[in-house]
Amino acid sequence: MKRFIFAAGIAALCLGLFCSFPTMNDQVQAASTEKMTVLNPMGTPPAIQAKQMAPRLDTLDGKTIYFVNTGYIGTDRLMEVMSDWFKANYPKTNIVMARGSMTNIPPAVMAEIGEKADAAIVGLGH
Amino acid sequence: MRVQYIQGPVWAKTGEQLRKSVVFGINPLTGKKVAEEIVDKLTRPLAPEDTRTGQIKREMGPPTYTGTAAELQQLYLEKRYTDFMPIILPTEELVNEMLKSTSHDPDEPLGRMFPGSGAGETWTYTVKVAAINAVMAGAKPEYFPVILALGSTGSTAINVSDNGFAAAAVINGDIRDEIGLNYDVGAVGPYAHANVAIGRAWNLLSINGGNCGKVGTTYMGTVGNAQNALATIIAENEEKSPFQPLSVRKGFQKGENIVTLFSGWGILSAKNWKVNEWTTVMDYPMMAKAIHEGQTPGLFGTVLVLSPPIANFIADDGYDTVEKFTEYVTGASAKPEPKGKFGGFNMGPGFQVIVTGASNNNYWMAGGLREGQSIAIDNWR
Repeated sequence: MKRFIFAAGIAALCLGLFCSFPTMNDQVQAASTEKMTVLNPMGTPPAIQAKQMAPRLDTLDGKTIYFVNTGYIGTDRLMEVMSDWFKANYPKTNIVMARGSMTNIPPAVMAEIGEKADAAIVGLGH
Repeated sequence: MRVQYIQGPVWAKTGEQLRKSVVFGINPLTGKKVAEEIVDKLTRPLAPEDTRTGQIKREMGPPTYTGTAAELQQLYLEKRYTDFMPIILPTEELVNEMLKSTSHDPDEPLGRMFPGSGAGETWTYTVKVAAINAVMAGAKPEYFPVILALGSTGSTAINVSDNGFAAAAVINGDIRDEIGLNYDVGAVGPYAHANVAIGRAWNLLSINGGNCGKVGTTYMGTVGNAQNALATIIAENEEKSPFQPLSVRKGFQKGENIVTLFSGWGILSAKNWKVNEWTTVMDYPMMAKAIHEGQTPGLFGTVLVLSPPIANFIADDGYDTVEKFTEYVTGASAKPEPKGKFGGFNMGPGFQVIVTGASNNNYWMAGGLREGQSIAIDNWR
């Protein structure tokens, strides 16, 4: 009888333990073949509005290309090296250096690019 | 726009190294010369896909998934909905139970989050999305107002930066005892359910609600940061601290339930190992000043995480308020603090003190974390 009560005590203890964490216990038991339905945890991304790209240049000769340095360390040097390459290989192309910031291009620089540039290369570096 | 990949990093390379490895180098994705690709991208006529306009549909998957527990654990792992550890599967029943801990509508917009450092897309999420992620993290419903307060800030727990920034939150007020936050032995360690589950819920909400922590796109830590495994949740030991709680110093009432955000290198930083000195006479204020000067100028200033004995030593040395202590540490002899913004981060004086942990020895930590906004948790009950 004592053994039976002891066993019953253990059973009650186990039941109590599982009752304390019913969700985990349910899911452990369900790990075999029982199907369950769960919710998608994702948030909502912003809508992406596709914009048509600007027409490409038929030639670089006689064109003005802005090189925009975003200010990350080393981008200035990279832009200089690229500018040197363009000047050597496309001597009829006008290269203009401009400065942006790490998170945006100032409106005045954007306006200048819109007005004067045929193309722009924005350098993100680091 | 057309994007040109180059072999980075460009930082610290000489002009000659940049010429060889970048401009005359090979794009590792295409095997073609970078300079030639740039010219091609400027001059190659537009293809039909380049002229596409209109809204691009984003596929976010169905609202629910059905399968066995093992199948769903695997599915959520493969979809990168997890932190690579098993989760509590978010059934409708469990999510509804979580939602009972707040008066806010499940469909109420909770926050807008991007991966930090001024980069990436801004996603939005609702109270219900936060509840789903809280269930997945193993949080108890009584933790949910804290999780909502964190989510409402829109601050990510997992920053995109190649630096590998960490996130932390300090909790003050009576809620510390109400939900069982640990602020005694091992306070910032990982062995207290409330601290861990809240930190994990913030992480999972950042992964799923804010699309953060995706290696290669929104998690770019060059080496990474082990503290990104779990956002650090620190409850202050207000009872053993000689100072006013952080929240009171920020203008809230004592006992008010407040969570204050921190971000930066973490609570240990490379320049702070002066805390590891062992001598019979310790000048803690001077040590703190030396650490802060060593970390200045820097992005995140200094945060001290003091055990009560260290805080009391400092108070006994005459700095019985954090304000007096801050004045000493950042005073005239200290190097000038940085000003303005850098890479999307606010700069400026950065020195803060948090008191937590036990009194079993004279230990403390000093890291580089800058405090952010403070949120009233009770607004999210």
